[in-house]
Amino acid sequence: VITGLAVISAFGRGIPPLLDHAFAGEPAFTQVTRFDVSRRRARAAAHMPGAPVLAQELASTVDKACADAGLTVAERASCPLLLAARADPADLRHQANGRPPGSPATMAAAIAAQCGLSRLVRAYTGACIASSTAAAAAASAIRSRASQRIAVAAGYLVDADQFALFDAARALADDGQVRPFSKGRRGTLLGDGVVALVLESASAARLRGARVLARLAGWGRAGDAHDVSRPHPGGAGLGRAIRAALNCAGVTASQIGYVNANGTGAVHSDSSESAALRGAFGRTVADVPVSATKSVHGHALEASALLELVMTLLALRTGRLPVNAGFIEPDEQCPLNLILQRPRPASARYALTLNAALGGANTALVVAAP
Amino acid sequence: MTVLACVQWPPPGQEVAPPPPPLPGFVISSFGPLVAHIAGQCLHQRHGAAPPVKGTVAGRTGVVMVSARGDMATAYAVARAVDRGDRVSPLLFFQTALTAVVGRVAVRWGLAGPVVCISPEDHPLGDGLAEAASLIADGDADEVLVVLPEQGASPGDGDAALALIVSGRTVSDCTVSDCTVSDCTVSDSTVPAGQEGIS
Repeated sequence: VITGLAVISAFGRGIPPLLDHAFAGEPAFTQVTRFDVSRRRARAAAHMPGAPVLAQELASTVDKACADAGLTVAERASCPLLLAARADPADLRHQANGRPPGSPATMAAAIAAQCGLSRLVRAYTGACIASSTAAAAAASAIRSRASQRIAVAAGYLVDADQFALFDAARALADDGQVRPFSKGRRGTLLGDGVVALVLESASAARLRGARVLARLAGWGRAGDAHDVSRPHPGGAGLGRAIRAALNCAGVTASQIGYVNANGTGAVHSDSSESAALRGAFGRTVADVPVSATKSVHGHALEASALLELVMTLLALRTGRLPVNAGFIEPDEQCPLNLILQRPRPASARYALTLNAALGGANTALVVAAP
Repeated sequence: MTVLACVQWPPPGQEVAPPPPPLPGFVISSFGPLVAHIAGQCLHQRHGAAPPVKGTVAGRTGVVMVSARGDMATAYAVARAVDRGDRVSPLLFFQTALTAVVGRVAVRWGLAGPVVCISPEDHPLGDGLAEAASLIADGDADEVLVVLPEQGASPGDGDAALALIVSGRTVSDCTVSDCTVSDCTVSDSTVPAGQEGIS
């Protein structure tokens, strides 16, 4: 079960800005001011003002999530940390000046020490599925009774290096909007995301009288074995990840009341994901509401899956399903039941959140109301 | 946990290895070519020369990549280009994602299991095997290719890697003696007990 949560996004710190703006489908994309984009084809991203430092933001977010979960000093001290992040690009520049570079694992160890957590740490570095993989690993360790409580954190802050790489590959939307599953979509845009969750066994949570926010009920992971740069056109790997997650949760596709899609706004990726959903849900795909919230908070890379897990959890808790923003007109390759214009009321008990990474790596998580 | 195949780089008896063969689509850095080369050798040991047909055991093989810092040469190249205002090659977009070179191996060998990339703090082999055991125990894979690449200080210099294919759901009994391939020696021989608290 999930008992603690803290989040930072381009909308601001905490949950209220997400509920007020992200759920309503108000994109946070603006002209980038954090670094120079004058030489780039695309110019927009969803980032906070100023120049936040990743390690500091992560430490403060993990601390807040532990406080939100009500963990005591002793409970923190026995709680491992799984972190999804890449090394801070500023660290690369320092290394050029003779200082050895930090690794994501050393960043995790420093954050754990700052927050009074266990010295058991591991960092997940698998690009856009890093944080869903970390969440699945934590849930798996808790289910197998290897751990009773694990903190999972993830962070990405929009930076010049990734912006340049995405821009060079023409992966960024040059019209300044992410339009998942829409005809006329032109790519993705990057976004800030720093997220921390506390996961623990239901019995451990009950024993200490903790408030339960949601359950991470199922997880599935699978590869495409199709192509390095493009997903399988039929969504083969993602489809298998969805089926594995449903099986793990012990629910059927018809019990899923909301899908937070990967929906990057890329042409091939969105059509592949639509095919995966059609394959896994069959005819009932028309009944399940879908939105891709990258359309409002942007693509937070290593942190994207955890940020979208928070959006999914909030949808279940508030009974409001967030909008798939930026939509122009239907694409026959993406015949999904999209949530457009305004949040949709729902009483869903189970939701899916999906992610995929370059090279054909896919994850699916089933989130359940407590 | 049983070790079904095992390859190390540099090869036994060689202190300094020649650069791994080039990998089409991967430039500047030795990281991607090294991963593809050692993973290919390990898969060859397990499955023979021909890539296995989809739907066989390879289709249920996952990949765990364990590397403290990942592809540093590519990261430096991107940082330098950005700081100088130079053009950034679109090829670097793919190779900065660690999942991309794993995808390359997966396509070649039909590996349709999960992909996990981790940066370990103290116990790379133990953490990698623990992740592998977790994927198998969860039913997402039957076998897992665990690749542990680390780059040297300069391109191709001092690169080292280990690749294993493992099966089994627990890591507690995994020692060097389980590595059935005679020319493979594993110095980090046992899974550290302290790491069992994560998975």
